[in-house]
Amino acid sequence: MLKKIFSFLFIICLFISSCDPKSTDSSPEIWEQKSEMLTNWVDNFISPSYGNLLAKLDVLQQSGNTFSASVNQQNLENLRSSFVDAYLSWQYVEMFNIGPAEESYFNSRMNVFPTTVARIELNVENGNTDFNNTNNLPAQGFPALDYLLYGIEDSDDLIVLKYNTEQNYLSYLTEVIDQMLQNTYPIVEEWGTYRNTFVNSVENTATSSVNKMTNDFIYYYEKGFRANKFGIPAGVFSGSALPEKVEGYYNKNISKQLALEAFQAITTFYNGNGGVSLSQYIDDVATEGYSDLSTDVLVQFDITEELINGLDNNFYNQILTDKIKFLETYDAIQQGTILLKTDMLSVLQIATDYVDADGD
Amino acid sequence: MNSKINNYLNSHTNSSPLAVFRIGFGLMMLYSIFRFWYKGWIDTLYIEPQFHFKYYGFEWVRDLGDYTYLIFIVCIVSSIFITIGFKYRLSIIFFFLSFTYIELIDKTTYLNHYYFISSLSFLMIFLPANAYFSVDNIFRKISYKQIPKWTIDCIKLLLSIVYFYSGLAKINSDWLLNAMPLKLWLPSKYDLPLIGETFMQQNWVHHFMSWGGMFYDLLIPFLLLYKKTRIIGFILVVFFHLFTGVLFPIGMFPYIMIIGSLVFFDSSVHQKIIDIIKKIIRPIRKNIKLNNKIIKENLILRNKKFVLSIVSLFFIIQLFLPFRYLLYPSELFWSEEGYRFSWRVMLVEKIGYTTFKIKDQKTGSYFYVNNEDFLTPFQEKQMSFQPDFILEYAHYLGDYYTSKGYLNVAVYADSYVSLNGRSNQRFVNEKVDLYKEKESFKYKTWIIPIDDEIKGF
Repeated sequence: MLKKIFSFLFIICLFISSCDPKSTDSSPEIWEQKSEMLTNWVDNFISPSYGNLLAKLDVLQQSGNTFSASVNQQNLENLRSSFVDAYLSWQYVEMFNIGPAEESYFNSRMNVFPTTVARIELNVENGNTDFNNTNNLPAQGFPALDYLLYGIEDSDDLIVLKYNTEQNYLSYLTEVIDQMLQNTYPIVEEWGTYRNTFVNSVENTATSSVNKMTNDFIYYYEKGFRANKFGIPAGVFSGSALPEKVEGYYNKNISKQLALEAFQAITTFYNGNGGVSLSQYIDDVATEGYSDLSTDVLVQFDITEELINGLDNNFYNQILTDKIKFLETYDAIQQGTILLKTDMLSVLQIATDYVDADGD
Repeated sequence: MNSKINNYLNSHTNSSPLAVFRIGFGLMMLYSIFRFWYKGWIDTLYIEPQFHFKYYGFEWVRDLGDYTYLIFIVCIVSSIFITIGFKYRLSIIFFFLSFTYIELIDKTTYLNHYYFISSLSFLMIFLPANAYFSVDNIFRKISYKQIPKWTIDCIKLLLSIVYFYSGLAKINSDWLLNAMPLKLWLPSKYDLPLIGETFMQQNWVHHFMSWGGMFYDLLIPFLLLYKKTRIIGFILVVFFHLFTGVLFPIGMFPYIMIIGSLVFFDSSVHQKIIDIIKKIIRPIRKNIKLNNKIIKENLILRNKKFVLSIVSLFFIIQLFLPFRYLLYPSELFWSEEGYRFSWRVMLVEKIGYTTFKIKDQKTGSYFYVNNEDFLTPFQEKQMSFQPDFILEYAHYLGDYYTSKGYLNVAVYADSYVSLNGRSNQRFVNEKVDLYKEKESFKYKTWIIPIDDEIKGF
């Protein structure tokens, strides 16, 4: 009997000693905190970003109308600058491929690059373009405008001349701009009602807002940012470089600016900009081994930003002159992907939205 | 000693527990397969993927395209026949073969409980589960009250091995000292009513459940075996499995184990269950003429020697296979060499990120592969942290690009894995051309050892 009691006590002691007294229990108000995070995401990121995009697209439309009314060099430049402004504001929106945006394939309508020039030329020739046709996805949105404003002729004079003489081009330009506004209006509107659903979807399921948004963020970082803006033009997935696949190829001076803006969007979203976001969420739930994770990510982001800053304004030139430097930047972004896709996913225990099978 | 064994092998016991077990098994399988079908998994897991990860030595097992459904139909029909005990021996053979074939199509879907079903159905081929309360009794006009005692005991033994070995596997420093991976998993269940935001967040709960789980697994076979503790044991079984069923996405496994554990009970309990079933199916039974049936006392197995040697061999393998990891110098949870088929459940939280570089060895030019061009998200997830998957996929990629006309193809993996709360670490030696490495049971030297030690079983 005594033996039994002793062995029982021994086991109890072992158990107690295994509980680390230093590790504090995480706060029990997880539900509220996540709800706060979602509210922060909507009110301080998603809504203002859409609002800004819409405002910039409005200006773009006005500039477009002015240009249509009188095609000249000055109005072209004015239109171009509205285009750049709008394109920059887009960089804050692309990662929110959730809710209304996801349902209407918003991203595919706005920023599939490189644009297919042949398709644009075909549409210009035929008129009556159906922008819902999937073949026309790479013939609309910002990349199409990039071509239409900078690429249809070799010099500004020739471009102005073309819009002055060929009405088809002017109509297509207007249609593309109008279409972008038409794509954006309903999404901004639907977010008004979707907001409540979004903010209250706090549970840990594959389809809850918390998990979907986190997955979308990672997906955007890996695909929209890492692959589309850097990996593909650098030839990471093809062997030889494909510099003509940079974002803003025809503009020739904006690919870095767009990438930096997108990266700014990524880092501020991750940080929360004063409110609760992923970095705080990681700190709250991180177990011992991951206690430095949220700052590790930030450090990696800093390294990455510095490297992007050191690149040529035109990624096209950068790839042609010094591809190694461009690839080094890609590698830094890739290091971030590793942190997000292993450690962060492990800490956050996000239910994945793509794996549907039993576990054991 | 020998005579004791002989006495035991010749002793008989009431046949109703095995009959109930057969019915329970058949029904659970039937439901499992319908569930699998209903969820669309036949398509997404077996037909859709353009590439399947194969078990070493079973590369010849292929999915049959749309005809894969036929294998599931074989499974369904044999489950029905097993349940009613019609052509039992043939049915259980067909079930074992079809179920195991499905599992062999792709190891991405490997689960210990699928392996359990395969093992159990193999064992059941050699058991007289149709001796009593079966359609076979009606056709053969013979039914047995008693069957050899070992034929029921061996099911108890298999269940005990499953529990005890999974308990042994929990005796390791991650599980007991760090409460890993429960410390990661349980807090994420914050959305459970009542306990989610309270208990699931407590440090002591993570440790308590780790230790409790270990003791539960180690002790439950003994609690079920001894008559005095059997009721308590079974209550624990029900509670434990339902609770883990709520916490984790483990599908049918909890229910299969609960029903399976009934086999530990005395025949009187099973006779009652049979009486209830008889009541339920009375309308059908009315129409069957049950006369002329001879009820015999003891069933004597034909080919007893052969059957006994197969079953003995089966259990020797079951007892030793889980320890094969000792033959590898690597850390088991990290390299997973000797990890499968060992009742190691819920032990690791592992996430990997693995990309592949295809390089021309002569010119040095290279590019990276988009995994989603070849793998489903589920396959990519599983591939990213399991060395044998990484190697097999590297070979697939090597073959693919060679066949596309690429020259001097070499395949390198850029792989990072995070295990049980440790921050990620490089997993595969990035300088090793995996296309040149061969799969075998040998230790894989290209796995970079983990920068830590996990003590224990």
